[in-house]
Amino acid sequence: MTGFPQLLHAEWTKFRTVTGWVTGTAMATLLVVLFAALAGISSDQKGSPPVPIGPGGEPVTDSFYFVHRPLTGIGSITVSVSALKSGIPTDLAELRSGVVPWAKAGLIIKASTRQGSPYAAIMVTGGHGVRMQDNYVNDTAGPTTGASPRWLRLDRSGDAVTGYASADARHWTKVGTAHVDGLGPTVRGGLFVASPPSVDGMGTRGSVSTAAFADLHTRGGWADRHWAGDQVGAESPSFAGYPRNASGSFMASDGGFTVTGAGDIAPAVRDTLPTGGTRGDILTGTFAALIAVIVVAVLFISTEYRENLIHVTLAASRRRSGVLVAKAIVLGVVTFVAGLAGTLVAVPLGERLAHANGVYIFPVTSSAELRVALGTAALLATASILALSVGALFRHGAGAVTAVIVALVLPYILVAIPFLPASVSDWLMRVTPAAAFALQQTLVRYDQVASNYTPYNGYYPLEPWAGLAVLAGYAVVSLAAAALLLRRRDA
Amino acid sequence: MSPFSNREPAERSARGIVVAGLRKRYGATLALDGMSFTVRPGVVTGFVGPNGAGKSTTMRVILGLDAVDEGTALIDGMPYRSLRSPLDHVGSLLDAAALHPGRSGRNHLLWLAHAQGLPARRVDQVLKLVGLASVARRKAGGYSLGMRQRLGIAAALLGDPPIVMLDEPFNGMDPDGIVWMRGFLRSLAAQGRAVLVSSHLMSEVQDTADHLVVVGRGKAIADAGVAHLIAAASAGRVALRTTAGTHAMRVLAHAGASVMATGRGTITVSGLPADRIVTLLSQSGVPFSEVSAHRATLEDVYLELTHEAVEFRAATPAKVSR
Amino acid sequence: MRAAVHVEWTKIRTVASPLWLLLGTIAATVTLSAGATSVVICTSAGCDGHMTKLSLVGVQLGQAPLAILAVLVISGEYSSGMIRTTLAAMPHRATALAAKAVTLTGLAAAAGTVAVLGSLLAAWLILPGHGFTAPSLADGATLRAVVGSILYLVLIALLSLGVATIVRDSATSIGVVLGLLYLFPILAQTIGDPHWQRLLQQIGPMNAGLTIQATTDLSSLPISPWAGLGVTAGWAAAALLGGGLLLHSRDA
Repeated sequence: MTGFPQLLHAEWTKFRTVTGWVTGTAMATLLVVLFAALAGISSDQKGSPPVPIGPGGEPVTDSFYFVHRPLTGIGSITVSVSALKSGIPTDLAELRSGVVPWAKAGLIIKASTRQGSPYAAIMVTGGHGVRMQDNYVNDTAGPTTGASPRWLRLDRSGDAVTGYASADARHWTKVGTAHVDGLGPTVRGGLFVASPPSVDGMGTRGSVSTAAFADLHTRGGWADRHWAGDQVGAESPSFAGYPRNASGSFMASDGGFTVTGAGDIAPAVRDTLPTGGTRGDILTGTFAALIAVIVVAVLFISTEYRENLIHVTLAASRRRSGVLVAKAIVLGVVTFVAGLAGTLVAVPLGERLAHANGVYIFPVTSSAELRVALGTAALLATASILALSVGALFRHGAGAVTAVIVALVLPYILVAIPFLPASVSDWLMRVTPAAAFALQQTLVRYDQVASNYTPYNGYYPLEPWAGLAVLAGYAVVSLAAAALLLRRRDA
Repeated sequence: MSPFSNREPAERSARGIVVAGLRKRYGATLALDGMSFTVRPGVVTGFVGPNGAGKSTTMRVILGLDAVDEGTALIDGMPYRSLRSPLDHVGSLLDAAALHPGRSGRNHLLWLAHAQGLPARRVDQVLKLVGLASVARRKAGGYSLGMRQRLGIAAALLGDPPIVMLDEPFNGMDPDGIVWMRGFLRSLAAQGRAVLVSSHLMSEVQDTADHLVVVGRGKAIADAGVAHLIAAASAGRVALRTTAGTHAMRVLAHAGASVMATGRGTITVSGLPADRIVTLLSQSGVPFSEVSAHRATLEDVYLELTHEAVEFRAATPAKVSR
Repeated sequence: MRAAVHVEWTKIRTVASPLWLLLGTIAATVTLSAGATSVVICTSAGCDGHMTKLSLVGVQLGQAPLAILAVLVISGEYSSGMIRTTLAAMPHRATALAAKAVTLTGLAAAAGTVAVLGSLLAAWLILPGHGFTAPSLADGATLRAVVGSILYLVLIALLSLGVATIVRDSATSIGVVLGLLYLFPILAQTIGDPHWQRLLQQIGPMNAGLTIQATTDLSSLPISPWAGLGVTAGWAAAALLGGGLLLHSRDA
């Protein structure tokens, strides 16, 4: 009588003694590495300006129009914002007025005009009321009443910056206090206007916004000089520039200022930093590896049917489903190891080549790094078990290979179809086995940045492990169905 | 020249199959090593040899399926691949299992018939000929191996070819089928066709073949008529029946004969004529009951010929236990 | 040659799977096309021009069952050993392969025509209800897209036949074919550099060939429609030529 360990041993021996299967699995490893090298060398960003990095290490957009003066030590600044108007270019390069929800106009205290330097700001936005933001990633909502004009105030004391909002300049509501490390003794403070790109279909269009400021008052250690107007970060990979026929400016008129600006002060996302690469890009070879893995997995079972070896296999074991489980385990483990080996070589190689070509790679936390590596291997392993089960169900090699490849790879191609609503892309990446590619997501979604957070751009609707669970669900159901059929059907 | 060969020089224009000096190497193994023989009309030629001796490879080469490094295989004087309608020259059965399981036996023959522009009527004729008419419309995947062999033979006969070449047609046949097959092959030869039948078992062809090509290690080691082969194997040998085997062998060996015990109370002697044996034994007082000319069986001939050529010989039990 | 085509046609019509795969080609194409046209949204003006391409998007799925059929036409014979029977009956191997190609061309063109016209019919039924203008065959570019899509399907069938003649095993062949088709667009999607992106879109058998479906912005395409279809034809020709040479020189 044979026990399960013997069954495992038998299946392992079967697997390793067929050269084609071992070669195919090794090829999966190789493809992951090769595609990483290709992704690394194919992009050349040498000589382009560096990506601005925020205090937290994340890539940021730090391009806006700044009307500023130096402030040393303690100080306060107050202003009223009476209007914030935005323009979006049409196909005919004319500006059409519209709402840019995250257009920003307000007060800012920033360590310097260097891109990525620490700051705290309070602002009126195009569609999200008054916000207090600091260091790119932190965002606090203020009062949302739509009164106009709105008065804004920033108090600075050391590293602490406190923001207030008011509807009448008498009753102030504290919005929040930001502790901004590294401001230094002398900072730049003043007015700013930013206008991030407006989301349009699957892409974005640059926008420009103009705000009217009045009642500008300063107290404390402000330098006694004229207000200076500057475009911060005019040349930056995360800033697409002004729409045609528009530019940043400021104009003083009896105690007030009219300021026009574009850009944003916010974390960078895929839309705003299109030249940036991701781990997912480096691991494009996963798709190629998948095809190799699926072919090997299907052959691992369909060959038995073709050569009637299945009779020998089934005769040698007591429980038919045990054979299938043993095959799944052997295949899963082998593929996992092959996938992990590929990922562990591919990621550092791809990153190194990309860096050498001046390509910026979106950063990842070490836990996400581990998740991407293990997850990619798990994705390949689970896909191989799915392919094995479908192979056992279909008993037809070509049909099984096609079904699994189409289920895993085609959704990724379909999400790139223009004019497909994000809801449909998201749906595809929720219900198809391709959901598992969420494991490779390293990009972060920010509520305060409007963007196309679509699978096409590398933002998946499901959490990474939930995505794998979808694929695993398909694999488990097919495996169970295959086991059931194997028991019922004549071999 | 070996006593087992009476091969005539190959005639290029000869009808039938002429195989000359085939040589083929697969990596390190030499599959064919100077294979030469002829298959003549009106005769069933048995193509025998151990597994792996090169029988199937030779047949594939004759059909133009495999290329050779050296040598030629001609059908009626022409290479197979230059025949305009090959099924009218040679009908062949290589692998009875080579069917699409989802296609009916009749449809399998139908597409082959189309290849030669033969009418569907001919398909039904050959199906009747091999006794498959009743199952012709069933899926071939459900056929037994014996039925597949019959279907394969039907395919070989589609073009009513003067040459028929069958690779291991007895495989998987029941005793009735084997008897049918023998009669069928004989009738094909009687109609004047050249018939080449391969087998790894001499017993399958010995009552059918008129002529034998025995192969081993990629070459023909005998190419002769059955009667000639048996005569050559029997020549100069005397069978002796005696109750005093040991004594008799000592006496005869002393006189210069080579002696071999071939069974309980039987000895085969060669190197001495029968009358001299009788004299010697009588002088020494060895009792014996029968002295006759030895008559070899085809099995003996085959075993003797292929003894050296068997590639995958089983280890003897004594060797295994050690 | 006529006899050889007759042989291949008999082989295909006497088993059930080719019919199912052809029906699968039609069903997959029409279903995906209809699905895509019924969910489409358009935020800005000027989407109408892309509706032809969208109406025919199902070809990207429908090519898969067609590729299976094309692969099985030869690899099925290799797996059963029947290829020897075929080649013994038709010793001129180039003719045998050409007959398979001709038969497949006919089948793919027939199924492709039904699939593409079915997709177009779905678009006519669905798009006006969503406020879009359905593509019209009276428009020259749309007609080119429709005819080109059918030709594209034929070329994919021939490419698959060529690959399968080279590779012989059916599961591996279909893996290679789908890899060739689907990996180029994915790679082009993830590679940042515009030069490489363009190159990948120009040489991939699927993305180059499907430029035949574009009806607007022709100047911004990585490759012009007919040249794109030419690339697919080049792949198919190379695969068939490679397969033919190997079939000729290899032992069966």
